[in-house]
Amino acid sequence: MMNDADTMSIEDYLAGGGKLSSPDNVPPRYRAELLRLMSSFVDSELAGSAGFADAINWAPGISQRIAASRIVLEKAASAEKVLDLMEDFGTDKALYNRAHDWATRQPRDAKVDPRRQGGDMRLSVFHAPLISWTDACVMNLLMGLATGIQLRELAQVSYIPLADVIRDIIPVEARHKELGRVGLVEICATEEGRSEAAASVDYWFPRVADSFGAVGSGRFERLARMGLRHRSNKDQLEEWTQAAQAQLAALKIR
Amino acid sequence: MSRFTPLEVTDVRRETRDAVVLTLKPDPADAEAFAFTQGQYLTFRRMFGAEELRRSYSICSGVDDGCLKVGIKRVEGGAFSTWANEEVKVGDHIDAMPPMGRFFTPIDPATAKTYLGFAAGSGITPVISIIKTILAREPQSTFTLVYANRQMHSIMFREELEDLKNIYLGRLSVIHILKSEGQEIDLFTGRIDDHKLDALFDLWIDAESVDAAFICGPEALMLTIADNLRKHGIADEQIKFELFASSQPGRAVKPAVSRETSVTGNSCAVSVTLDGATRSFTMPKDGNSILDAAVANDMDAPYSCKAGVCSTCRARVLEGEVEMAVNHALEDYEVRAGYVLSCQCVPVSDKVVLSYDE
Repeated sequence: MMNDADTMSIEDYLAGGGKLSSPDNVPPRYRAELLRLMSSFVDSELAGSAGFADAINWAPGISQRIAASRIVLEKAASAEKVLDLMEDFGTDKALYNRAHDWATRQPRDAKVDPRRQGGDMRLSVFHAPLISWTDACVMNLLMGLATGIQLRELAQVSYIPLADVIRDIIPVEARHKELGRVGLVEICATEEGRSEAAASVDYWFPRVADSFGAVGSGRFERLARMGLRHRSNKDQLEEWTQAAQAQLAALKIR
Repeated sequence: MSRFTPLEVTDVRRETRDAVVLTLKPDPADAEAFAFTQGQYLTFRRMFGAEELRRSYSICSGVDDGCLKVGIKRVEGGAFSTWANEEVKVGDHIDAMPPMGRFFTPIDPATAKTYLGFAAGSGITPVISIIKTILAREPQSTFTLVYANRQMHSIMFREELEDLKNIYLGRLSVIHILKSEGQEIDLFTGRIDDHKLDALFDLWIDAESVDAAFICGPEALMLTIADNLRKHGIADEQIKFELFASSQPGRAVKPAVSRETSVTGNSCAVSVTLDGATRSFTMPKDGNSILDAAVANDMDAPYSCKAGVCSTCRARVLEGEVEMAVNHALEDYEVRAGYVLSCQCVPVSDKVVLSYDE
C-alpha cells in the first residue's frame, strides 16, 4: 500500500479536517463523544415528540391538530434515523426507547440546571412542561429556531453518516418551527392572545437560550479537534438571540 | 445485535502478486442478510492461535453481479490478510457479519449524474463496487476514476476496469497515476499532491459538473484530495470518504488481567484513565457503578442511557475484577477482551484499573 510516507494518526487526520464513515475506524474517545452527541439528539427528539403529544388535544382547529400530530410523528422519526446510526456502534435500538420515560417533565417553575438531569440526555429545555396551545406554539418557534442553528452545526460533524442524516432532518425541523410561527400569527391577531404569548415567551426565552450550553465550555476545544464541533456556543447563542428577537418583533410580542 | 455467519469460499482469484479476490456464498437461508449496497464492507473473524482477530474488507462486486466478492491486499505483518492471501482455498468457510457501511450515494435510474472517484491501492475495492453499480443502474451517469498505485503490476482490477470501459462506452474514464513508473504524460507519474490535482482539474476534469465524489485511500492523501476538491468548489456534502477499514492497527484482543482478585475489603481503589489523564479514588462496594463514582469524582466520563443499552460508556478493565449488572450493547468478544459498560459495572476486587481511552 502507499502507507509508508502517508501514514498519519487518526487524531491528526481528524484535526486536519478528515472525515470518518465507518464505526470500525473511530478511536475510543471519538466513539464516546460521537455517541454522546447522537444520544443527546435522539433523547431531545423523543422527549420533544412525547411532550408535544398533549398539544394535539389543545389544538383549536383541525389543521392545527394535524400540524401537531405531524410534529409528534416526525420528531420520533428523526430520532429513529439517528438511533439507526447508533445501532452500528452496538446500541440496542429496541431497548433504547424503553430506557427512559420521554413524556416525563419537571414542574413548570422548577429551576433546571442546563447540565443533564437524571438518566436521559435530552437538552434541559425538554424538562419543562407545555401548558397550552399558545405555550406550545411559542416553544416551537423559539426552540425551532435554536434547533435550526444547532443542526447546521451538527451537519458539519466529521462522522459522515450522521452529517448526511442531519442534512435530511434540517428541513423537517424547519417545517416544525414554521408551524409554530403560523400558529402564533393566528394567536397574536387578538390583544388577549398576544399577551398570553408574551407571558410564554418570558418563560421559554431563557430556557431555550440555556440549550446552547455553557459559554466557554472546555469540552468545545476537545470536540473541535475531533471535527465534532465547529462554532462556539457563544456564536450560536448570539445568532439565535438575534433571529428570535426579529421573529418576536414581527409578531409584535416583544 | 450483529452475529457471525459462515460464508463458503467459492472462488479464489489472485488479483496481483499480493492481493486476492475471494468469492463468498452465504447459505440460502442467510442470503437476504447478505444482500448489500455498493460500497459496503464485511467484517470477518478468525482465531489465530488463542487470539480472535476481526478485520473488515470492502465488497468489490457490483449490486447486480449476483455474487459477493471481497478484495484483500496483504499487509506486511497482517495475520488475517496473509492468511487470506496464502492459505484460503475453495470450499473453506469464513465467519462474517452482514454487510455494513454507508460509503455510497442513493441510486436513481432516472438521473444523469457526473461522479468522480479517487482510489489509492486497495482503496479501489469499495470504489469499483460503486462504479459497477452506477454504470449498471444509472444508464445516463458517468464516472471518472483517478486511481493511484505504485506501479503497473500492483494495480488491482486493471483488466476489469478496462472491460467496464468497453462495456459502458464513453461512460467510464480511468486516469492511472503511478508513483514509481514513468508514463507518457508526466502528470500521470509521481505522488498525488495539491499541484497534480490542480493540473487534473485544469486539463481533465470539469469540477463544476461533479455531483458527487468518492475518496478511498490513506488518511493524508484523503485530506489532500478533499482540500483540493473544496478549493474547486465541491461542497462537503458532495464528498464521501472511506478509510481503509484495516489501515488502523487492530485492537489487541487479550482478556482482562486479573492480577489482583482478592476480595477482602468493603471498598475498592479505582484508577480511571480518560483523555490520557489518570485519576485514582476509593469507592465503597455498595452497588454503585464505577461510572457514577468517576462522575462524582469530577471526571467527565462519557455516558448516555445509563441502562446498559447505548454503549456510550464503554471502557476497558485493565486490572481487577468487576461485575456487569446488565449488558445489551457489548458483544461477547468485547466482554472477553475486557470491555465493560461502566454504567453497569460494580467493583468486585479491591483494586480496579479502568480506561476509557482503549
